[in-house]
Amino acid sequence: MTQPTADFPMVATPRREAIVARLLALPISYFGTLALLACAGLLRPNLLQPFLLLLILRQTAPLGVAVLGQSLCVRLLSIDLSYGGVAMAVSYIMTSGYLPLSEPALILICLLFGVAVGATNAFFIARLNASSVIVTLAMALILGGVVTAFSQLRAPGDAPAFLRYVGQVRIGILPIAVLVWCALLVPVAAFLRTSTFGRYVEAIGASPRAALASGIPYVRVVFLAHVLSSLFAVVSAFLILGFVGVGSLSIGADLALNSLAAVILGGVSFGSDRGGALGPSVAGFMLMFCFNLLTSFGLGEPGKQMAQGAIIALAAVAYAVRGGKQEK
Amino acid sequence: MSAARPGLFGRSGLGVVSLGLPVVMFVLLAFGAQDFFSVENVTNVNNQITALAIVSLGQLLVALIGGMDISVGSAISLTSVILVSLGSWVAVPVALALGVAIGLTNGVGVALFGVHPLIMTLASMTFVQGLALLIRSGAGGTVPTVLVDLAQGHVFWLPAALYWCIAAIAFASLLLYGLRFGLRLFAIGSNAQSAALNGVRVAGPRLTCYVLCSLSGVVAGVYLTGRIAAGDPSMGQPFGLDSVTAVALGGVQLSGGVGSVLGATLGTITLGLITNGMNLLGVSPFFRGVLTGLLLLCAISLQRRKAIGI
Amino acid sequence: MQTHAHAPSSPVSGELGIAVEFCGITKQFARIAALTDVSFAGEAGTVHAITGENGAGKSTLMKMLAGAHAADAGEILLGGRPLLVANPAEARSAGVATVFQEATLLPNLTVAENLFLGREPRRNGLIDRGAMRRQAEDILEKIGVDLNVNVACGDLAVSEQYLVEIAKATAQDARVVIYDEPTAALDAQGVEKLFRLIDEQKRSGKLIFYISHRMGEIFDICDTTTVLKDGRHVRTCRTAELTRDGLVALMVGREIGHLYPPRKPRPAEAPVALSVDDFAPIRGGPAVSFSVYRGEIVGLAGLEGQGQRDIVRALAGIAASPAGEARKHDRQGRQTRLRPSVVAVVKAGVGFIPEDRKSEGLYLSLSIERNIGLGMLRRAPLASRAQIDKERIRQLMRAMNVRARDARQVVSALSGGNQQKVMIGRWLAAGIDVLLVEEPTRGVDVGAKAEIYRLLREFADQGGAVLLTSTELTEHLGLCDRILVVRGGEIVAQLPAASATEEMVMRYALLGRPQEGPVQ
Repeated sequence: MTQPTADFPMVATPRREAIVARLLALPISYFGTLALLACAGLLRPNLLQPFLLLLILRQTAPLGVAVLGQSLCVRLLSIDLSYGGVAMAVSYIMTSGYLPLSEPALILICLLFGVAVGATNAFFIARLNASSVIVTLAMALILGGVVTAFSQLRAPGDAPAFLRYVGQVRIGILPIAVLVWCALLVPVAAFLRTSTFGRYVEAIGASPRAALASGIPYVRVVFLAHVLSSLFAVVSAFLILGFVGVGSLSIGADLALNSLAAVILGGVSFGSDRGGALGPSVAGFMLMFCFNLLTSFGLGEPGKQMAQGAIIALAAVAYAVRGGKQEK
Repeated sequence: MSAARPGLFGRSGLGVVSLGLPVVMFVLLAFGAQDFFSVENVTNVNNQITALAIVSLGQLLVALIGGMDISVGSAISLTSVILVSLGSWVAVPVALALGVAIGLTNGVGVALFGVHPLIMTLASMTFVQGLALLIRSGAGGTVPTVLVDLAQGHVFWLPAALYWCIAAIAFASLLLYGLRFGLRLFAIGSNAQSAALNGVRVAGPRLTCYVLCSLSGVVAGVYLTGRIAAGDPSMGQPFGLDSVTAVALGGVQLSGGVGSVLGATLGTITLGLITNGMNLLGVSPFFRGVLTGLLLLCAISLQRRKAIGI
Repeated sequence: MQTHAHAPSSPVSGELGIAVEFCGITKQFARIAALTDVSFAGEAGTVHAITGENGAGKSTLMKMLAGAHAADAGEILLGGRPLLVANPAEARSAGVATVFQEATLLPNLTVAENLFLGREPRRNGLIDRGAMRRQAEDILEKIGVDLNVNVACGDLAVSEQYLVEIAKATAQDARVVIYDEPTAALDAQGVEKLFRLIDEQKRSGKLIFYISHRMGEIFDICDTTTVLKDGRHVRTCRTAELTRDGLVALMVGREIGHLYPPRKPRPAEAPVALSVDDFAPIRGGPAVSFSVYRGEIVGLAGLEGQGQRDIVRALAGIAASPAGEARKHDRQGRQTRLRPSVVAVVKAGVGFIPEDRKSEGLYLSLSIERNIGLGMLRRAPLASRAQIDKERIRQLMRAMNVRARDARQVVSALSGGNQQKVMIGRWLAAGIDVLLVEEPTRGVDVGAKAEIYRLLREFADQGGAVLLTSTELTEHLGLCDRILVVRGGEIVAQLPAASATEEMVMRYALLGRPQEGPVQ
């Protein structure tokens, strides 16, 4: 047992050291984005045109929305890898015409579907205490299989008008998709910062055992987090569908992986959150920019996958080394 | 920090589910499917589950120390494309070397840096899958004849697949039950701190398990490529989660310390019989993924975990 | 404890020489000094007690000898030569065997496998299980333990597991054997076996370090006693030269009387705060019935592992399926049934303080303000705005005398005593009026102990009720108003603490219910 004698530093750390320390503690995504922009400036300067940057920003919007959900899960020591399946299902529901209903009705159905998926995930994770990676991967398998089987009978079609409007149109120079992203980002960030729910998320991430023993409604919080996560996945799918214009089975296939990478790069590690809401959002942009850069170098889909894998691995190792220990 | 308590049969993890399921499946198919006992079907089943059996044994090792490796599938895929891209004598050693490299990467990330095994293997799975697609974008190519014969041939009228299975099971059993290494794996999986206090090295064996698991992927890839006689960069895709499902169905506790070779094998048989059943009954192949997902959910719901979170 | 019979110990000879010498050992954990300049020697062929209050540094010092920690300064001499070990395995090879307080057995390995883990016998490269079994049986026979070596250790009772731990240490045939609070996990029979074994080991020339703070044992079997206090060496001398009170004074550094705040007699009409009827923490197991009144501090005493923890945790809502009734009565007399859900229990106004504050009690990476603030959210709906009264937090910190830079200090940097106060502060801020406490002063220095006792007493005086468990009998005798002695999961005696003595409590703890009638 340690023998405690209160012992606090009497000398205040010099201001300059404190500033440098704060800078170094910033999420990797800030430095990464700067580095990539510099790299592009040297090798592919046309990527830095404002028009293209805005295009990349629009590409990032769906990822940014998904990141909101993923970062919430990760802060709670959980994870949601079912985004691919959810996106496939949403794309199919909206475009296959299986359900002959009006567009607003279909949108509502998709949102309810998202709630159902999130609730099911949360049931296994929070009540049965199962591994969230396995549960959400299994969910992705199930959804993917069901949608693929259905699509053999009836192929997906065109995206409905409203979604196409949201996904492709601009207001001034800003794409509506980006506005939707911001419209979700700001309230969510504010809510997490000021609400009781946000405090509980922080506590559970810091020590789930202490949270359980001190009466924090762990199950309710995790439930809500996963429902929100799936809802964000649904909105993200709307944005992608709107932009692409047609339903397809590969919509959102790497949404889960990219959102995880963005979350890790953005400073949110399991159980803690040093990146706030901005870090992961910047990381999302960084990833999209990186993929575009790689494409401009001639690297196709395989190259993108290798980049995804390498980025996640390096980011995870970097954070593990920095000082977060990840419990099993 | 207490760990997994042994179940019905001690730390083998065998119980009602793991022993009963294969029997139930067997009975169901025997009565429900017409061609179940035909020679063709039995050889078919054997062929199909051989690759999964090999990979599940690798997954067993990693699960025993409390980890997980979902990148084995992409190791299979990578092996497959390498075998059709390089000359006969170079291909297999190169594939093995790459398998070791993947395993070392996983192991170093998990055991030395403390990254969560699922995140690390998810990352390596994506990377290796991309690499496989880079080397060869579609199925095809010619496989060296010697490998095809090894996979498809017969010895003493029994299919080669059976020998592959037996060899894998024998090797795994020797490792787990004959060597000190195996006993220490059970100790590490149960409580790594206590094991370390007893003088057991923890990092080394953990690393070894991940390397062995990736190598099992390579071996399974060699077998599968020989059987199909073609290279296919998406060959290994279902095996990652399938191997986890198989070991979970076999009573292996994913939190570590409990499991057995018999259990992993039984779980593989169950999964193989289910797939076979679906084929015989004409169920759409797309539902296979759905079924795996549902089975996985059931299997992990039955496991009681102490750890909270990911 | 004088209820056992043991072989008379041989007089300390000193002829066998010094086996272990500590020279100027200093150790810090994250800027908190655990040990400062500790120096003394232990002689071969003696039983050497290492004693002191909780947090004195006994375990830390012995862990260094066992190779689990390295000293920041100073050195340890083993047989005259410096002990340079990097891990427990090397310490084992050097001849130091340790029987830890927390069993280091692997529950999924058999007794034989546990005994030989790390040095399994081999034949032709493969494990020789036959030899392992035979040798394991031999070892157990030598110390007089009768267990099936093929049983998994997870299936053994706690006391049996501890005997296997002892067997493991014995098998090493080391020069130095360290026992860390051994009798905590043993029953009377096991204690007898242990003392016989220790005597044998002593006679064969080993040095036995015996960590304990139980007076009875120290005076019974230990030849030499070393007292540590606040991480410093106080005194090492022959046990025969000490008296009980003298030893206590050395350990505590002040009169016990000043450590505990004065008790007020409970008024006869004090309302009930917590009523427990036929409550079994595990369905089908032993049940208890008792009440805790407002203004009282009630202690669940007894030997370790007799069910006190289970009772408290089940009341707190942590046990899965208890049977029976537990009700909280609020100040207006309304009753709320305590369901097996922590959230419901906390809503009802009952707070739980676990013994392991680092892993279950505090949010170490968060600040004091966040930790205490979470208590204020007890009744808040999920979507509401988090109303944290920062002024109240500052008030509480002042009232509890939490020594920290300010409320934004991260809790992990605080001392044990201050951490404990933050935990209590969280419940005070939450406005609960019944506290369930496990080990109120584990790992807390003496100064903070007095403050924590004062806090609990004030809480009770203002109408709260406290139910606590503790392994330190003096705590029960000094702090509590009533002591409920627990044995085998049942309450075997109820004593007013003011008139109870250590002997009385231990008698009930060891022997159980007196012949006359049931107790309430």
